[in-house]
Amino acid sequence: MNTQFKKGILEMCILAIISKKDMYGFQVIDSLSKEIDVNENTVYPILRRLTGQGLFETYVEQTNVGAPRKYYRMTELGKKKLYDYESEWRSFLGGVFRLLGGNINES
Amino acid sequence: MKAKYLNELKEVLIEYRASNKDLNDILSDYDQLYEDALASGKTDDEVWQMLGTPREAANELIDTLQRRKEKNIKTKIIAVMPFISLIVFFVLGFYQDLWHPGWLVFLAIPMSAILLQARLKDGIVALMPFLSVIIFLILGWGYDLWNPGWMVFLSIPVVAILLHTNVKELPVAISPFVAVIAFMILGFEYNLWNPGWLVFLIIPMLGILHEKNLLKVFVYELSFALAIGFYLYMGYVEGSWGYGAIGFLLPVAMGLIFGDVKFMVGNFSEEERKKAITMVGIIVVAIGLFLALGFGLGGWAWAWQVFLLIPVVAIILFDKVRLTALMPFLAVIIFFSVGYFFDMFHISWLAFLLIPITAIIENA
Repeated sequence: MNTQFKKGILEMCILAIISKKDMYGFQVIDSLSKEIDVNENTVYPILRRLTGQGLFETYVEQTNVGAPRKYYRMTELGKKKLYDYESEWRSFLGGVFRLLGGNINES
Repeated sequence: MKAKYLNELKEVLIEYRASNKDLNDILSDYDQLYEDALASGKTDDEVWQMLGTPREAANELIDTLQRRKEKNIKTKIIAVMPFISLIVFFVLGFYQDLWHPGWLVFLAIPMSAILLQARLKDGIVALMPFLSVIIFLILGWGYDLWNPGWMVFLSIPVVAILLHTNVKELPVAISPFVAVIAFMILGFEYNLWNPGWLVFLIIPMLGILHEKNLLKVFVYELSFALAIGFYLYMGYVEGSWGYGAIGFLLPVAMGLIFGDVKFMVGNFSEEERKKAITMVGIIVVAIGLFLALGFGLGGWAWAWQVFLLIPVVAIILFDKVRLTALMPFLAVIIFFSVGYFFDMFHISWLAFLLIPITAIIENA
């Protein structure tokens, strides 16, 4: 699987995670690495890139201990991008499963 | 460790000309990531692994950076330097008939770019190949000192090490080059290839000085001294260099006694154990090969290159495989082999240019 393809999937996963709830950087890395085998050091740069593209916005929240944390929240543009990603991905997976003789819903 | 990580990251980002806004933003985020990771129970090593080395992190971030605008005057000087060089070249050629070595003025193009764009330390390191070429050509054309003039090229890695190594580690880092120079002077000038190769033992003997246990330092140094003494005695007095080499089993035995090979039986993962066994194997093979080539083919002059296999394999096994890290060793092999076997030291120094070229290509 080439790096670009992997990065695309990773972007989609990050979008999906943050669409469920606002998260801070380490939380995103932690949630992702629990589910998929991911090169953890690529997550923050992707977060930053997606924020730069306007798919996330950030805000700072005080914590009980230590410095305030930066949270990432999905924007409307981000939701649209996630929808596009998901459609593409499901269509791609559907094709792959058809070729393999299975069904996308079986898994 | 966190401060070290953030400082290194800051240095790389400055090198990549990140704007102040990006710099502050990223450093603050990494500060937070580091703190959160520590709070989750990770060790510093695990955090470094999670975040990647500062350079890896910066490489991943590079396309998210807004680069600082260059200072105009510097950019302008760099931009006009090719034209200035061309004018100077023509003036020297037409009016003074100095086409040769007038072409040297073209070296001002990369040199000005390096001087004006790189940070001081990196700039000096990057300038060394050009300065070395100029000094080498002056020595060669001016004084017919092609040999040993080529030795100025050893200044390229030496200066890089001098500027990037801690004072404490400097003697060890510089010792391979000192050993190479001493070995070649002993070989070429006095035909002392053997036992001249013994000068390479200064590398481990200096390395051991970093050990905190003074008894261990003393025993190791003594074992080396005895081994060298025995080797010289057997060679010169008894005429048997081969038996003399047996003496070097003494420092090896000390290593076993002190448990410096304890990783072989320690509580390490399967992968680490395999790597350790491979390293020990490579060291044994290198020593065996060196002695075989020395005694079998009389190749004392060139057989020492097999020892370069040891750091090369160590880099491949324990570090991320990067040609930049391997190239100094490969360059030394190419340089020496082409120079020695084809009597082309006046050309083989070009191999050292592979070091900056590889670094530029790999880090671009």
